[in-house]
Amino acid sequence: MNNNKKIKIFLVDDDALYLKLLAIEFLEHADFEIESYATGEECLVNLSNEPDVIILDYKLDGLDKNAMNGIQTLDKIKAFNKKIPVIMLSSQDKIDVAVSCMHHKAYDYVVKSETAFLRLQKAITSIYTYKKLEKQLNWYMERM
Amino acid sequence: MSFIRRHESQYARSLIEASLDPLVTINTKGKITDMNEALANITGMTREQLTGTDFFDYFTEPQKAREVYQIVFANSSVADSPLTLRHKEGKLTDVLFNGSVYKDNQGNVLGVVIVARDVTDQKRIATELNEAKIAAESATKVAESAKKKAEDAAKIAEDATKTAEDATKTAEDATKIAEDATKTAEDATRIAEEAVKSKQQFLSNMSHEIRTPMNAIIGFTKVLLKTDLSAKQKEYLTAIKMSGDALIVLINDILDLAKVDAGKMSFEKTPFKMAVSLSAMLHLFETKILEKNLKLVREYDKTIPPVLVGDPVRLHQIILNLVSNAVKFTTNGKITVSVNLQSEDEEKVTIRFSVTDTGIGIPETRLGTIFENFQQATSGTSRLYGGTGLGLAIVKQLVEAQNGTIRVESKVGEGSTFSFTLDFQKTNEEAASDLVIVDPDVEIKNIKVLVAEDIALNQLLMKTILDDFGFERDIADNGKIAIEKLQTTDYDIILMDLQMPEMNGFEATAYIRKTMNSNIPIIALTADVTTVDLAKCRAVGMNDYIAKPVDERVLYNKIISLVKKPVPVIENKDRVKTHGQRIKCIDMEYLARRTKSNPTLMMEMISLYLEQTPQLITAMKQGLHDKDWNCLYSAVHKMIPSFAIMGISTDFENIAKKVQEFATTQKQSEDIPELVLQLESICEQACEELEVEFNAIKNTNV
Repeated sequence: MNNNKKIKIFLVDDDALYLKLLAIEFLEHADFEIESYATGEECLVNLSNEPDVIILDYKLDGLDKNAMNGIQTLDKIKAFNKKIPVIMLSSQDKIDVAVSCMHHKAYDYVVKSETAFLRLQKAITSIYTYKKLEKQLNWYMERM
Repeated sequence: MSFIRRHESQYARSLIEASLDPLVTINTKGKITDMNEALANITGMTREQLTGTDFFDYFTEPQKAREVYQIVFANSSVADSPLTLRHKEGKLTDVLFNGSVYKDNQGNVLGVVIVARDVTDQKRIATELNEAKIAAESATKVAESAKKKAEDAAKIAEDATKTAEDATKTAEDATKIAEDATKTAEDATRIAEEAVKSKQQFLSNMSHEIRTPMNAIIGFTKVLLKTDLSAKQKEYLTAIKMSGDALIVLINDILDLAKVDAGKMSFEKTPFKMAVSLSAMLHLFETKILEKNLKLVREYDKTIPPVLVGDPVRLHQIILNLVSNAVKFTTNGKITVSVNLQSEDEEKVTIRFSVTDTGIGIPETRLGTIFENFQQATSGTSRLYGGTGLGLAIVKQLVEAQNGTIRVESKVGEGSTFSFTLDFQKTNEEAASDLVIVDPDVEIKNIKVLVAEDIALNQLLMKTILDDFGFERDIADNGKIAIEKLQTTDYDIILMDLQMPEMNGFEATAYIRKTMNSNIPIIALTADVTTVDLAKCRAVGMNDYIAKPVDERVLYNKIISLVKKPVPVIENKDRVKTHGQRIKCIDMEYLARRTKSNPTLMMEMISLYLEQTPQLITAMKQGLHDKDWNCLYSAVHKMIPSFAIMGISTDFENIAKKVQEFATTQKQSEDIPELVLQLESICEQACEELEVEFNAIKNTNV
């Protein structure tokens, strides 16, 4: 990854209030570039902006029955570029939901709560630690 | 010999003719026998005409001339006798008359030789000199009076010393040009008077300006004193507050004096109950008097009519000053306050008030000056007893401004008696109702207060105080904004500052009463009760007023008594029922923490909530109604995070979770409509409150 560039995060949630709060927190706590989208569709359209991480709400079809839900959006993202890490976000603290997310290749699953932001931050940090390790590993592999 | 004599005679003659002074010889009968040309010129007559005529006829005062002439014969000569010669055409010539007799060889007097020296020029010069002298003298006089005026002026205004010096200087210049000087001196006096005026204005303005920050200092000290403090901190804060209070008293005193001096002090004429009013006031001293182990004796004349018309506030001020002096200067014994009816007629009563103490007393030599500004009986007094020495000056001014008289009797070591008389009009009116003192234990929380106040510090202070009361509050920067807010939001009461930009308190109140036809209670907030036209407050329709620095208890009582009155108890009950315990449901603490109290972010968040929540409520209700459980689920689901963000109790989050649970399993359906209703009502309340919050943030941060 490019170290000179800010980490670009896509926030996707149809709860405008929560979306805004997250954006505020991300901007407060670290130097991120944030793009917020209310629907999965909008997020997909903008994938060309090359997000480093996507934080995706599990339930995007809450009020709009025809909207793409979280899992569908996740699949589309992975189809576009499977290397983009996606952290799923949900107010549901349910194991089957979490497992389903993992099956669809989400990087992590975070429950919306007071500590959600901290967990997201940790997840992002671990994404980058992982990426770094991967890179180092590749470097050594090439020389083996 | 004869030739020589003739020659000599000719020589003498030519000398005589050459003289510019008239020369004339007169015989013993007073007839002119000979003369020179100068005499002919001065009289305008020919020599022939003159010869043989009466010499005295040519003078303005012939009798005087004759006397002089007789003196010459008697004393043989006369020197410098002033006379005036008259030209035949009327021109007068002042002369000095010198003469001596001439005799023949035998010593017989033949006649008189007279030299009349023409002194016209001298005289003119003398007159001019004299006139000049007089002019100079009068000029000096005028100048001096001008100078004196200017000096008086200088005395009047110590501040105006500089101006007066200019005046003195101008007056000195005026020694040369008296008229200008007088004018300048008048100017100087005028300037000096203006200087006095501006001094008073300055004093008045300054006191006012000082009060504003003082209000904040004292107010916040009070607020701070209520928080958890260590003993030391409490001690220090108490010291700050006491000093602040003392300073406010001093500032008020100065302001009062300046006002009386400027003739601006106005006195109210309101009906009041004298006995009640006085005993309430004396009540204030009870602790102090008990502390010093003194006794307070009250003597009240029962024949005084119960309700009188006058200015109770000023009366309080006078007695307060006198009694606090008495308390201050008395270490043991008693203080007697007596009120007696001195005289009474159809229209008015004259009442004598006296305050007697058994204190240190006042030396006789000081009795005369005790009422002057900054005077205490001895210069050591203030060191020992404190005080500014303004109290008695104010008392005197206040009494005299109401056409009363004040007297003092005192004996050193035995005590003093201050007594004054004041007239009060009689009345049949009822006295204005006394302050309703509400039991502070009665908790009344759900009061919405609108504060119209332009100074940020005071806004903050009012916020703090009202928050402390548990009232909701909203701040408007001026009267105009207050009216706008009033049009969109319901308030229970308005606290209205009088001096605000754009639209002041009077204008705003008049608008609310007349144009909006609203009867909402309005309390005037004023920094300065003395100048404020209370009559004007009432005229525009204000219900009450309160002076800054605001005393919290007084404010609380006033708000409660005004708000309680117009709201019927039944309606009150109704409100409680529909809204549950209408305690504030939101708490901005979480949001403030998350946004680091960034007003823009907070406002963005709140407006998002206000936008989104009604949709969710609709979706939730719709879902329940249509039995569209997914819709119900999603709506409630989305509501859940917002509870935490807006600090709404977790109880509601749990209710929402229950509803969610129901939407998935469809069990326990009978409770659900009630739970949905609860969610709806809490969300609506939150919206209302957040709107207020939003406006509050907006108004404090614009």
